Amino acid sequence: MAIFEQGDVKIDVDEDGFMEEPDQWNEKVAVALASTEGVDELSEDHWKLINYLREYYAKFGIAPMIRKLCKETGFPLKKVYEMFPSGPAKGACKVAGLAKPTGCV
Amino acid sequence: MRTNPITPEERGKAFATQRKPEVLKKQNLDVRYHIEDFETNDRPGRFLEAFAAILKHSNYKMALDHFIRMSAKCGRCATTCQVYQATGDPKDIPCYRSELLLSVYRRHFTLGGMLKGRLLGSGYLTDEKIQEMAESFWNCTACRRCTLECPSGIDHALITHLGRYILSEIGIAPRALVVSTREQLEGATGNTSAIPVPALIDTLEFLEEDMLEEKNVEIKFPMDVENADYVFIPAVSDYLMEAETLMGIAAVFTATGDSWTTGTGYFDGINYGLFYSDRILERVVKKIDAETKRLKGKNVLIGECGHASRSAKYYLPTYCGGKDAFPVINIMEYTHKVWKEGKLKFDPNIVTEKVAYHDPCNIARQKWIIDQPRELLKAFCKNYVEMTPFGADNICCGGGGGTISIDEIRPYRTTIGGKLKADQIRRSGCNILIAPCANCKKQLRELVEDQKIDCEVMGLHDLIYKAIIFDDSLIVKKDVQPENIAEEK
Repeated sequence: MAIFEQGDVKIDVDEDGFMEEPDQWNEKVAVALASTEGVDELSEDHWKLINYLREYYAKFGIAPMIRKLCKETGFPLKKVYEMFPSGPAKGACKVAGLAKPTGCV
Repeated sequence: MRTNPITPEERGKAFATQRKPEVLKKQNLDVRYHIEDFETNDRPGRFLEAFAAILKHSNYKMALDHFIRMSAKCGRCATTCQVYQATGDPKDIPCYRSELLLSVYRRHFTLGGMLKGRLLGSGYLTDEKIQEMAESFWNCTACRRCTLECPSGIDHALITHLGRYILSEIGIAPRALVVSTREQLEGATGNTSAIPVPALIDTLEFLEEDMLEEKNVEIKFPMDVENADYVFIPAVSDYLMEAETLMGIAAVFTATGDSWTTGTGYFDGINYGLFYSDRILERVVKKIDAETKRLKGKNVLIGECGHASRSAKYYLPTYCGGKDAFPVINIMEYTHKVWKEGKLKFDPNIVTEKVAYHDPCNIARQKWIIDQPRELLKAFCKNYVEMTPFGADNICCGGGGGTISIDEIRPYRTTIGGKLKADQIRRSGCNILIAPCANCKKQLRELVEDQKIDCEVMGLHDLIYKAIIFDDSLIVKKDVQPENIAEEK
């Protein structure tokens, strides 16, 4: 386990930089984590995606299928990659405070 | 097939590590993949104990006794190994890699080796050698192409597998795989992607709605149906990543009307045991067997996934009943069979792009599934091209053997592992690359992105979903006016 520190944000992360304790998530944490993913500023679209991911995660305990994510947020996959260069499963999930996806994802 | 070895800059990029120096120091092992903390005391001793235990409870001894006599280190395998072709490093030649383990076996488990070692006081297993094995065995993509060229019939992939197995018994295995199999075997969800059943149901209902909207046909994913002909078990990650593949498969079953089902008790074909541990291999295969029994199914139907297909097909008989084990078929075999029977129709004008087919090693190397998907594709793709070499002699995607799940080695996979494949894709000039395997799909998408190749990677059933034509009787007549219904009556 490692500690990720930026400004007044201090959280436990794994070796890949994903949060160990998703309960510690807040908007400041999201901004700090986004900077590790090459995203300097979180736009309204970013927040829409992050909030959708968090809502689905709270309900089902897992991130949604990518097709569902795109359909429900209205963002084509290409746009998701533009917003989060490392993709929905890695970049977006990390910023939204979800656990690192496992298996062939 | 030849390629130019990577440049020093590419080499630096491929081998760059994301790991923290303090962790490497604490674990006293310098590898690029993450490992959970493990006992670092007396590693050689514990390695030999684990090796001895595995030899006692398996048939590996027979193979090793044969291999240590036959291994001539002639190096013919070098011409087939895509990792060696990319790095040009003699340490990546398959028989060099195999010798790492064979020399341990010779020294510690044969009479001659033990005597010689005692007399000369040399060759005892060291920490450095374990370090070399931990690194080398995970540089291999387990594509098994080297086994085609070996004049002595040495199965280098088997030795790599055994080496990884012994290492995993002393705690040295990529964390990505260990965490996934732990969730699959001991976790609440029972699958490698940690998908809870309510999420699975939500996903499948979402896909059903989408398909009704797009195709105007009621395409269903039957759940927990007993006595079905086929119990469907895809790589579970498809439920997150591969919507179109699943939709294509459901569409085929809707067109044929055959009975199939997904079981909510177990729905994950992924079996990382195939890559690094026979104990895990056995436990995962038994879960497939148990779920098929629970549902009273007749056949196990594996989705688009090479290693899932191979691990079920070859190890269900080993661990679950020999000749009485459930028959295992891959979805492409099924789709090909029903197409041959005239139960599927495709629109030949939908797919106009240049399409190529990539053989997943785990179903092509032993010549199990090679022609079926090609015949299907040629039936409706106007512009099909072949990448050479193909079939049993194919080039691996570069992310085989479990390495695809190890995100931290992506630069290695897309610079070295997949270098030959990238050359091949570029030469084919294809716009659509069909890769009927969850593992290959992920790797090839990362490969074309990192190597800047303009080509879309998808599954076989993604394309079938686009081109399939349904019988009129299946089309939902939602625009029919009430008076028309009265007239029909």
